[in-house]
Amino acid sequence: MPISLLFEQILNGIVLGSMYALMGGGLALIYGTMRILNFAHGEFFMLGGFFVFFLFAGAHITPFLAVPIAVLAAAAIAAGIQRSTLAILQRRDGWLFATIAATLGISIILQNVALLLWGERFQSVPYYIEGTLAVGDIRMAYQRLLILAVALCSLALVGLVLRYTRFGLAVRATAQDQEAAKVMGISTERINTATFAMGAGLAALAATMLAPLIAVNPWMGLPLLLKAFVVVVLGGLGSFKGAILGGILLGVIEAVGMSMTSAEWRDVISYSVLIAVIWLRPWGLFGVKER
Amino acid sequence: MFGAPTRTFSVNFALFLVALALFPVFVRDSYYLHVGILCMLFASFALSWHLVTGYGGLKTFGHQAFFGIGAYFSALVSIHFGISPWLLLLVAGIVAAILGLLIATPVLRIRSMPHVAIVTLSFAEIIRAVISNWRDVTRGELGLWGIRTFESFSLPLIGAVSFTSTDKVSFYYLMFLLFALVCFTVLAIMRSQYGLAIIAMRESENAADSLGVNVVKYKLFLFALSAFFVGVCGSFYAHYLLILTPSAVLHIEVIILVIAMTLVGGVGTFAGPIIGAFLLTILGEWLRGFGDYRMLIYGTMILLCVMFFPGGVAKLGSRLREFGGFSARVARR
Amino acid sequence: MLEVSGLNVKYGDAQVLWDMSIKVGAGEVVAVMGPNGSGKSTLLKAICGLVAIHSGQIKFEGKDISSMPAHNMTSIGMSLVLERRRLFPSMTVMENVMLGAYAKHARDKTKERLAWVEELFPIIRERRDQIASRMSGGEQQMVAIARGLMSGPRLLLMDEPFLGLSPKMVSAIVTLVQAINKRGIAVLFNEQNVQLSFGNAHRGYLLESGRVVLEGAGLEMLQNETVKRVYLGSH
Repeated sequence: MPISLLFEQILNGIVLGSMYALMGGGLALIYGTMRILNFAHGEFFMLGGFFVFFLFAGAHITPFLAVPIAVLAAAAIAAGIQRSTLAILQRRDGWLFATIAATLGISIILQNVALLLWGERFQSVPYYIEGTLAVGDIRMAYQRLLILAVALCSLALVGLVLRYTRFGLAVRATAQDQEAAKVMGISTERINTATFAMGAGLAALAATMLAPLIAVNPWMGLPLLLKAFVVVVLGGLGSFKGAILGGILLGVIEAVGMSMTSAEWRDVISYSVLIAVIWLRPWGLFGVKER
Repeated sequence: MFGAPTRTFSVNFALFLVALALFPVFVRDSYYLHVGILCMLFASFALSWHLVTGYGGLKTFGHQAFFGIGAYFSALVSIHFGISPWLLLLVAGIVAAILGLLIATPVLRIRSMPHVAIVTLSFAEIIRAVISNWRDVTRGELGLWGIRTFESFSLPLIGAVSFTSTDKVSFYYLMFLLFALVCFTVLAIMRSQYGLAIIAMRESENAADSLGVNVVKYKLFLFALSAFFVGVCGSFYAHYLLILTPSAVLHIEVIILVIAMTLVGGVGTFAGPIIGAFLLTILGEWLRGFGDYRMLIYGTMILLCVMFFPGGVAKLGSRLREFGGFSARVARR
Repeated sequence: MLEVSGLNVKYGDAQVLWDMSIKVGAGEVVAVMGPNGSGKSTLLKAICGLVAIHSGQIKFEGKDISSMPAHNMTSIGMSLVLERRRLFPSMTVMENVMLGAYAKHARDKTKERLAWVEELFPIIRERRDQIASRMSGGEQQMVAIARGLMSGPRLLLMDEPFLGLSPKMVSAIVTLVQAINKRGIAVLFNEQNVQLSFGNAHRGYLLESGRVVLEGAGLEMLQNETVKRVYLGSH
C-alpha cells in the first residue's frame, strides 16, 4: 500500500473516530455521572439524524441553525425521558439492572415510534459543503473535515465546561459521590437530568454531522450504539477523556484494518479489539485500575 | 421457590406439564401446534438465560450467540456431512457450551455489570458478523436451506413417528421433552447444594466465599450449562424450520425478546421466564396482524414492567397485597 | 434551634429509629452517643434529608424541614460532615472546599469565608492543589470540616468525626470543634466513645437500638451510673 493511501486511510479513521468519540463521550458522561448504561443512546443519535433531515433537507433551513435545533430537540426529549423513567428508578433499591432494562425498552419504543411516524425509507441528507481538499496525493472532502472540526470543537467545549465552570464542578462532584454532592447543596437530580441531556445531545450532534454520509432511518442508531459501547470500554467506563481517545483510536484501527481486509470485516475487527482489551486490561486502555 | 418444593408449586407445575402433554390430543391444527412449539422453545431459552442472569447474577446480553451457533453448526454439519440431526442436537449443545466457557472466562474476571453486558453483546456481534459475512458457507442473509430434518423411527404401541412439515405433532412432543428436560434440570440445580451455593453468591460473593464455595467454578458451570441448553434449542430450531438467516437467530432482537419475556414473567423465580415466554409468544402471534406495532408493544411492556411491576407477572399477586403499604415508603429526596 | 420530635425511620420493613426526640440549642455542642447499629448515623442523615423519614417532625429555627430535600439544607444554615470524610477523591483540596460554598446564598461571601476557614485550617492554603484522596485521614477530616463551614452554617452536624483518626489528630479536631463553637456555631456530632462524646459536649444523648435511653448535661452523662457500668466497664 502506498504511504499516501495509508495516510489517507488514517485520516479517514480519525474522522470516523471523532464520531465514535462524540457517541462514546456522551455515553461515558452518562455512565460516569449516574452509573446508567444507556441502551437508548443510539436512538438519540437517530433522532438527531431525523431532525436535521427535516430541518435541512426538508425545510431548507441553513445548517448553522438546523444542527443546533436538532441537537437541542433531541436533548430536550432525552431530558423528558430521563425525568419520567430513569430518575424514578434510581430512587429505588437494586436499580442497576432495572435502568439497563428500562433503557432497552426506551430504545425499542423510540425506534418503533420513528418507524411509525417517519417510515422505513432510507433518507439522505445533502452535504453541508461541497468540494474536496487535495494536498499532494491526499484527498479529503470538505464535509469530512467539517465533521472532524465540529466534533473536536464540541468535545473540547464540553471538556472545558466540565473543568472550569460551576456546573462542571457540580457534575464532577455528582459523578464522584452523589450523597456528598447533595450535602454540598447540589441538586443531584437536576445534574443527572442535565448530564443525560448533554450526553444525548452529543449523540444527536454526531448524527447531524454523519447524516450526509450515511442514510437516515429508524435503525441507524444500533451500529453506532455498539461502537460507542466498545469505545467506552476501551477508554475505561465513565471516563470522558478516555472515551475520546478510545473513539479516535477505534476509528483508526477500523480504517487501517478495513484497508487490509474488506469493509464487511470492520465490526469483527472492532469487537475483537474490545475482547482482547478486556482480557488484558479490563479497566480500559486509558483508565486506572479501580479497587 | 427455593429449598424443598412446596405442595402447591409441585401440583401447579405437574398440572401445567400434563396440560402441555395433552394439548395435541385435543388440538390438531398445525398452526396452534406451531405456536405451542415456539412457546416451549422460548421458555427453554428464557429459563436457560435466567439461569445465568437471574440466579447467577451475571447480566449477559449475548446468549443469542449460542442459539445461532447451535442452529448454524447443526444445519451445516447435517448438510455437508450427512450426520443425523438426532446426534447433532447433543453435539450442537456441546459446541455451544465450549464456546460459552470460552467467553465466560474473561467475563467472570470482571464484576462490573455494564462490562459484562458489553462484552457478551460484542461477542455475539462477532459471531453474527462472521456468519453473515462467510457467505460461501452460510449464504449470509440469503438464508441457509436444504437442512435435514429429524429421521423418522417407530415406537412400540405408538407406531411410526415421522417429522414432516405437515405433521407437527412429532415436533411438538420432541420440543416438549426438551422443555421438560430444561425445567427439571433447572429445578434440580436450584434444589441441590449447587443451588444453595448459587443463591449464596447472588446474595453476596463474600458470603459464598466464606461457605467455601468456589464462586468462579460454579458460575462457569452455570454459564456452560445455560449455553448448552440454548445451543440445543438452536439446533432444534434449525431442523424444525429448515431455513436460517443471521438476522432471525443472531440479531440483538433475539436476546431483547428473551429479556422482555423474563422481565414480564418475573426475574428471580422459576415460573417467571416460563410465564413470560408463553405470554409474549402468544401475544406476538396474536399481534402478527399488527406487524409494525409488535416491537413497540414489547418495548412498552419492558418499560412498564420495570417501572411498575418489578416482580413481573409471577409476583403480581403479592405486589398487589403490598400495595397498601406502598405510599408510606416513597422516599424523600 | 433544632428540634426533632417523635421521629421514626424504617429501612424497608426494619425500623431503625423509634420515636426519637432530641434538641440542639443555639450555640450548643450536643453529642449523640451509642454503640454500632444504635441508629446515631441514621439520625443525622434523617435530619439532613438523606434518609426518608416514616413519621415525626424535624424543625430548624422554628421551620418544619421534615420533607425538605437534602440539597436545600445548606441554604437554611445547616451543614453535614459525612462519616469517613467523603471528600471528592479526585478533586483538589481547593475544589473540595469551594464545593462547600456551592449553595446560592453562600456564593457572595465565598472570599471572606475562605479567609476565615484558612485561618482555622492553615492546611488548606498549604495543600490547596493536592488531590484529596492522597491525604491522610486526619488531613482529610480537616478539609471535610472546612468544606462543611464554607456554606456559613449556624448548625454543623458531624457524623463520627473521630473515626479512624490517630489520638493526636483526635485532640486536634476537638480543639477545632471548640474553636468553631466559640464563633457561635452550634454543633451536633455522634461518636461511640463515652469520653470523646460526652466529655466534649454541653449536652448528650445516649442511644440504644434506635431509641434515646438517657439524656443530660455532658458531665452528668459521664458520671451516670448506667453509662459508667455499661460503657466505661467499671463495675
